[in-house]
This record gives sequence, C-alpha cells and structure tokens, in this order.
Amino acid sequence: MNFSDLRPNIYNYLGFRGVKESPETDSEIKSCLEELETLAQFNYLYKAFEEPPEFLKKQPYAGFLRGSGGVILSVMTLGAGVDIRINRLNRTDMSRAVVLDACASAYLEYRSDEYERSIGENLSSRFCPGYGGSPLSDLKFIFGLLHPEKIGVTLSESLFMLPAKSMAGVIGIGGGGKKSCGGCIMLADCTYRKEGRRCFSQTE
Amino acid sequence: MFQPDRITVFDGGFGSELERRGLSGIPEDLNITRPEEIAAIHRAYSCADIITTNTFGLNRIKYSGEFSIEEVAAQAVKNARAANKPVFFDVGPTGAMLRPLGSLTFDQAYDAFSEIAQIADRLADGFICETFSDLYEFKACILAIREHSKKPLFATMTFDGTGRTLTGSTPEIVANTLSGLCVDALGVNCSLGPRELVPIVRRLLDSTDLPIIVQPNRGLPVLEGGKTVYKLGIDEFEESISEMVEMGVSIIGGCCGTTPEFIERISRFSGSAVRPRSFTPKTAINSSAKLVGIDGVKICGERLNPTGKKLLKQALADGDYDYLIDEAIRQQDCGADLLDINVGLPQLNERAVMPEAITKVQEYCDLPLQIDSSDPAAIEAGARYYNGIPLINSVNGDEESMSAIFPIAKKYGAVVLGLTMDKNGVPETVGGRVEIAKRIISRAEDFGIPRHKIMIDTLVVTASAEQERVSVTLGALEEVHRLGVKTALGVSNVSFGLPNRPLLNRTFLVMAMTKGLNMPILNPLDSEMTGAVRAFGVLSAIDKNSESYIDIYKDYTPASASSAAPAVSKQAEKPAETLYESVVRGLKNRAGELCEAELKTKPPLEVVNEILIKALDEVGREYESGKLFLPQLVSAAEAAKAAFAVVGEYMPKNAGPKGMVILATVKGDVHDIGKNIVKVVLQSYGYSIVDLGKDVPPDKVVEAYERYKPLAVGLSALMTTTVRSMEETIKALRAVDCRSYIFVGGAVLNAETAARIGADYYTKDALGFAKKLAELTDEEK
Repeated sequence: MNFSDLRPNIYNYLGFRGVKESPETDSEIKSCLEELETLAQFNYLYKAFEEPPEFLKKQPYAGFLRGSGGVILSVMTLGAGVDIRINRLNRTDMSRAVVLDACASAYLEYRSDEYERSIGENLSSRFCPGYGGSPLSDLKFIFGLLHPEKIGVTLSESLFMLPAKSMAGVIGIGGGGKKSCGGCIMLADCTYRKEGRRCFSQTE
Repeated sequence: MFQPDRITVFDGGFGSELERRGLSGIPEDLNITRPEEIAAIHRAYSCADIITTNTFGLNRIKYSGEFSIEEVAAQAVKNARAANKPVFFDVGPTGAMLRPLGSLTFDQAYDAFSEIAQIADRLADGFICETFSDLYEFKACILAIREHSKKPLFATMTFDGTGRTLTGSTPEIVANTLSGLCVDALGVNCSLGPRELVPIVRRLLDSTDLPIIVQPNRGLPVLEGGKTVYKLGIDEFEESISEMVEMGVSIIGGCCGTTPEFIERISRFSGSAVRPRSFTPKTAINSSAKLVGIDGVKICGERLNPTGKKLLKQALADGDYDYLIDEAIRQQDCGADLLDINVGLPQLNERAVMPEAITKVQEYCDLPLQIDSSDPAAIEAGARYYNGIPLINSVNGDEESMSAIFPIAKKYGAVVLGLTMDKNGVPETVGGRVEIAKRIISRAEDFGIPRHKIMIDTLVVTASAEQERVSVTLGALEEVHRLGVKTALGVSNVSFGLPNRPLLNRTFLVMAMTKGLNMPILNPLDSEMTGAVRAFGVLSAIDKNSESYIDIYKDYTPASASSAAPAVSKQAEKPAETLYESVVRGLKNRAGELCEAELKTKPPLEVVNEILIKALDEVGREYESGKLFLPQLVSAAEAAKAAFAVVGEYMPKNAGPKGMVILATVKGDVHDIGKNIVKVVLQSYGYSIVDLGKDVPPDKVVEAYERYKPLAVGLSALMTTTVRSMEETIKALRAVDCRSYIFVGGAVLNAETAARIGADYYTKDALGFAKKLAELTDEEK
C-alpha cells in the first residue's frame, strides 16, 4: 500500500479543503493505515451477468452501462473489527477515531480498486447505489442476487450496509462508466463541488 | 445416521445448481413453485450420506417470499426426502447485524431461530447451521435450536483469508465457544477453496475433541467471457479433502460452486474410520475476539464491582454505564487478562442489570468476563447474553449451590469458579478445603462438566483477624493445584485492617504464585501488583525469553514507575508550557495538569473565561479559516474537556455547568461518529451532555427530555432513509410541548430539510452547534 495514493482521498474525507500540509495529521494517518493493515479483514463477493438484471435497466445505471458488454455486481467489506475499533476510539481518543474512520473509507476504496483490477481487464469504474440519484433501495436487488451475508455483510431496514465499511458496486464489462454529479441528492449542498472538487477520483 | 467415528459425506452447492438449471427467484420459494426441479437437485446429490434442505434464507427476518415459513419448510423437507437419505434442515444467518454494531437484538434473533427450530424439529432428522460470520448471532441460533430440539446440530462458520470470521473470531475462539454450547459437530463452510481452508481446519482440530465438518467452496470464482465461473478441478478438490480427512476431519461436503460430480467423487470416503487425533483440553474462556487460556498466571481485574465505590454505585443506580465501561477499558489498558463483573446492590434488579452491564462492557472492551453474583438467576441472565464463553463466579460445596449453578454452566459452556466452603462455613484445615474442592469437581462431572471447566478458589482470610490461617489458604491451593485444576484467589482480601496494604497484597501474591496460583483477582491499576505477576513470569520461566516482561519494561525508568498506566503519549514530543497552548495544540494529557496549576493562583471562572474559552475561540477561528482541521479541532476539544473536568472539581457545587444538551442518533441509524464529535466539542465548551447513543427510538428521546428538561436536543441522521425517523422524533418532542431548542445535523441534511421536518436549527458541524447555542443563551440573558 502506498501512503501517497491514499492521502488525497483521506484528506478529502477529513474535510481538508484544498490544504496541502499537516505533518501531525500525516503521521496520524500513517499510523492509522498501519493499524488498518492488520485490523481490516478485506473480503469481497462478485457475480457477472451477461444480461444486466432488471433493476439496472433504468437511469442512471442504463446510461452508466451504455456500451458495456455485461455487468458485474460486487460487495466489498473491511469487516466488523474496524467498526468495533472506531467505536472504542469514540470513547478513548475521539481525534484518532475521526482519522481512522476517514482512513478506513479510503482504504476500502483502495482495496476494492485493487481487487477489481485483479479480476479482469477493461472494467468500468464502480457505480454504487445512491450515486447520481439512484435509490438506495436498489441495494436490495444486489443483496437478493449476491447473498453478501456469506461474507458477513448485512443490509439494515434503513438501507445501510453493516459492517459500516462496506460497499456495493455496479461495474460495466468492456467499456461504459463515468461517474458524474447529475441527479445526486447532495448536488445543491455539495461542499466538494463548491470548492471545485468531486467526492470521487476524477482520474477514473 | 451419524456415527462420530465414521466419515460422513454431506451434499454440495445448491445455488450454483439452481443457476445451472436456469432457476431464478427467491430460492426458498422454488421449493413450492418448482418442487420437481428442487427434488431433482436433491436426487442428484443422493450419493451423499446426508441431504440438506433448500432453506438457507428461511427465517422471519430474512425471508421475503410469498409463503408461510411453515409451508416452505414442509415442502423443502419433502423435496429433500426424494433423495432417500437422512435430511438435515439448513439454517442460515438472519442477514441482519446484531447489536451493538447493528439494530437487531439478541432476543429478536433468538425468536426467529426458535420459530425455525420448532417447525423443523418435527420434519427433519437434524440441523445444519451454516455460513454464520457473527459468533453472537450463532449463539442465539444454537441456543434456540438446543432449547427446542434434541436432534443433532452441526454448526459451521465462514472465515476469511486472515483466518478469522468477519467479526474477528479465530478458529480457537469459534471451537471453544461452539464446543461449550454442545453442538454435535463444528467447522467451516463456504469462505475459501479447500486448499486455503487447510490451516483453519488444522487449528479447529487442535482446539476441540468434537467432530469437525468442512464444506469448502470450489475455490474462488473467476471472470470468464462475462460470466463468473468456478475453475477448480475435481481432482484438486478431492486431494485437499483427502488431506483434511488424514488430519482427522469427520464430516465432508461442498459449498458454492461444487456440483454432484464433486460429491460423488468424495463419497468414496464415506463410512471409513475417522483418524484419531490427540487433544488436550484446556481451561479457557473467551469473548468474540479474545481467548484467554488459564495457564501460567492470568490477571482478573476486580474493579467492576460497586462494593466500596460510591460513584459506581450511583452510576449503576442511575442506569449510567459510562463509568463501568471506562473502568473496564482502564483495567484492560493496565494489563488485565479478564475482568470480574459484579452489579450486586440492594436497590438494583440484578437479573436485569447484569445482562445489560455485560453487553455494555462487551461493546467497548474485548476481554473475557467473569460473571460474579450470588444470585443464580442473575448469573444465568448474564451467561445467556454474554458473547463467548464466560467464567462464573461462583459455586460452593453446598448441594443447593451446585445444583443451581452447574446446569447453567453446562448449558452455556462456562468455566466455573468453585469456592472451598459450604453451609458449615470455610473449613479451618487444608484437608477440609481440599475435600470440598474434590466434592465440587466430582459433582460437576455428574452434570457433564469436565474437570478443565472447573477452577478452585481456596479463599483468602484477612491476616489481621486470622493470621495463622493464611498458610491454610496457601496449603490448600498447593494441593488443589496438584489435582490438575486451575486456581484463583481474591488476593487483596488478605490485608484488610492493616497499614500499608499494597505491601501485604504484593507479598501474599508472590507467595501464592509459587504455590500454583493461576488467576489472582486484583486491582490491575496497581502497577506493583501487575509488576509482581510479570516478574514471576520471568523467574518461573512461564514468560519464555522474558519477552512480555521486556516488552512492558523496556522503557522503564524509576520515575515512570509512579504512574499506574503504561505511560504512552503520542504527543510526547514537546511539552506545552501553558494551558492555553495545551488546548490549542490538543494535548489532552497535559491540559489537565496545567489546568490544575492555573487553579492554584486563579479562580475557576477566570480560568474558564480567560484561558479555556479564548483558546477554543482561537481553535474555532483557525478551523473555520481552513488552517486547522477536523482531527485537530477534536483534539483541542478533548484537551479543553480534560481541563473542564479539573475545573469542575474547584467550582462551587451550585454553579453547575453551562447547561445540558441531549444528543442522539435517531432510530434506524447507527452512524454516530458525527454525533460523538458534537459531544466532545460541546463538552469542551462546558456543556454537560446526556448521550442517548445510536438507533434511539423517539420515545427514549422524549423520556430523556422530560427527565432532564435540557437546554437543547441534538439529533443526528446520516441517511436519507433515517431523516424520516428524525422527523418522527421531532413530532414526538413537539407533542409533549418541548421547550428545548431542537438541533439537527448529518450528511444529508440542510437548512431547508431541517425546517421542513420541524427542527429549530440546522448546523453543518459541531462548531456551528456550539456557536449557535452560545448565541441563543446570550440572547436569553
């Protein structure tokens, strides 16, 4: 794992609005990432479909998947140990809890990118239900098709996944797939956009 | 049907077979809508010795199909019977996360599994509970089945590449827990391919004498031509299974991706003799993440006990568990291996408080616990809701005590601490005490509790009252140790009524350890006591190469010895010179000391207004202008909070804090880091906080409002889906004519939404909350 790869994303999550340097935070981040390497239990599950499942035939998925020859549904997690640790830090060291929480989010993205690269070439970026105004309830379809409880990931009635550091993604095979802000529920209030940035990496 | 000494073969993957036959939809419903096809899959697996029903997702929490659970279960068993083999009912997890990480309660999970158990007990020949990844949910499942059925119960969990379950349990922890809960076989399914499972299976085999079951995936799937396919060949699968059979595995089968051809191949092992394996039982207790073997000397922390602790008494009486949790964390940080927990107070309903206290402590502290009560019902309640295998404190040589406690210990797999006394009191001789120890061990065996699940306490007397008998305690300890059971003593009792108690405690501890004491119950915050245990480890060659001793004392200087806690401060670099600086730089350890010094020369209010508030104001300005960042803001707030705690001790009693704020993350939402940041920041400004936690139903918020009539109520929600429940909470508060300011915050909120759902104020961050609150209180003045 390369610290400098994760750093911009972590600063993003910490709300470091465009600022470059903070040696104290840098050293805390490094130590949190070290902790995550043993604490996190990255696990994933995926399934490919030649024909996209019904729920993906609507927007914004249809647009995202245009030009792709198939679709992968995928669920990734860092495991419950991270949640338990952050929970305890909330009580003993709130400042570290904040940093570890941000690091864990970035670390999950990083590990997920890494595993996606390992399963195949020419895959699109990852589109998660909730992006671009897509309903969170689409997670139910993904859970129905993938059974992520096999890797211990659950979906609550309020439609968030637990362990908290888990993601579900839609990936186009052989093309398609740029993320955009259109239709996002946060569009009007987005602090990232106000600063001319995006919550996702724009190099994708 | 199932002979533990013969290899038994289970069937293989079902989902992949459904797919191969083009069957889609809710798998459980296919039992009724496509019975012939389902029966055909079962028939294809008739080469197996035991057939599993197609009911993995059939429980009331997970199942979303159109039939009743009873109907599906009946048809599923009927379909499985088509193979003409014994049928085990398949039970999978609920798909919901249990508290504290999620919202599902232990009882809700238990009820869902009980329903299945009652229905399936009449239909099937046994149960296979599989693909569980949370040990706590698994305990609910196993108890539910055990309490409703006498049929065989096989239990398997999933592990990841690091050799842990998703909630962090190792194979040793899983084996200790499931063996304790008396399943008929335990093991691993799904997870990984057969080759990757070998090391996990090895560890399971070494940790229990129960039959081990293995049902691996057909390796990891790969992407090929737009499809996910399993590529592992039958030969390789068989080779790994064969290796595991050689190791001593009793029950084999397949999971995701395996087909009837795979099971056909491994069915050649069916009926052959299980390889014998050697296994030495150990006295061990565990939480979901830590297993503590009682060998050498293990420290049991004694401080979760209200006796003689006024603050803890008050906190427990108020239903406030923060004190207890902090005390648990402190003992863990000081090196305790396990913690005794006692909530016995005349004004408390111990049977209700014990499980509550245990779950609260386990949420934050992963040490195993010793459940300490004189009320068997409180012990049972504690053991039931405890996550893992606990130690029970205690039983004594009285028949009444033994017949009350042993069934509880047996049912929950607990280790029991036996006291060498009975209705005639504590024997005055070594022989008398050893005799009771033997009685306890032998009576436990009648209840099916083996010797390694018993520990003996030969009872410490106070040297001031019964000086001659100290040697009786030690003599009995030595003899009991020779019986091959582990020993415990409440060490600190020896010094009651004498001066310089620590010296006597420490000396007695060393004397007892040389006689074979395995578990002193003591105060881990006393570094001289824990130090004696560490030193004993070196001198008795328990601590190999003195590794743990060196690890603890490598930075030892005589000056560092005075503080009980290991002196680790990440901000050790350059000490802050002033209180102001310590707050701005977020040095919370230093802030308390410096505040103490300031208070020697200045009145408390001056310290608050001239130093703390000004420092916080500077931090706030820097944060808003983007020079300081969230982690630093939080550190500064934590430092100011530490200083406020010191100021509080100097304030006149009636001055009180600035005002009270109730905080809660609303029902259905468990994201609470934002709320916790608000808590620290508000505390740093001197507000007192009632934190109701996360997933808080509206009526709890209303109840707290009516009890405290606070200055403000702050509600947090992270998800669009939980804003609704925020709105309901506000409605409920309005319905009782709430006079406090209602603040809302969270990622998906804005001023508009806040107004729409009836809140008074929206704040985008913790600092905004503090500023608005200050504005409002100034206006009031």
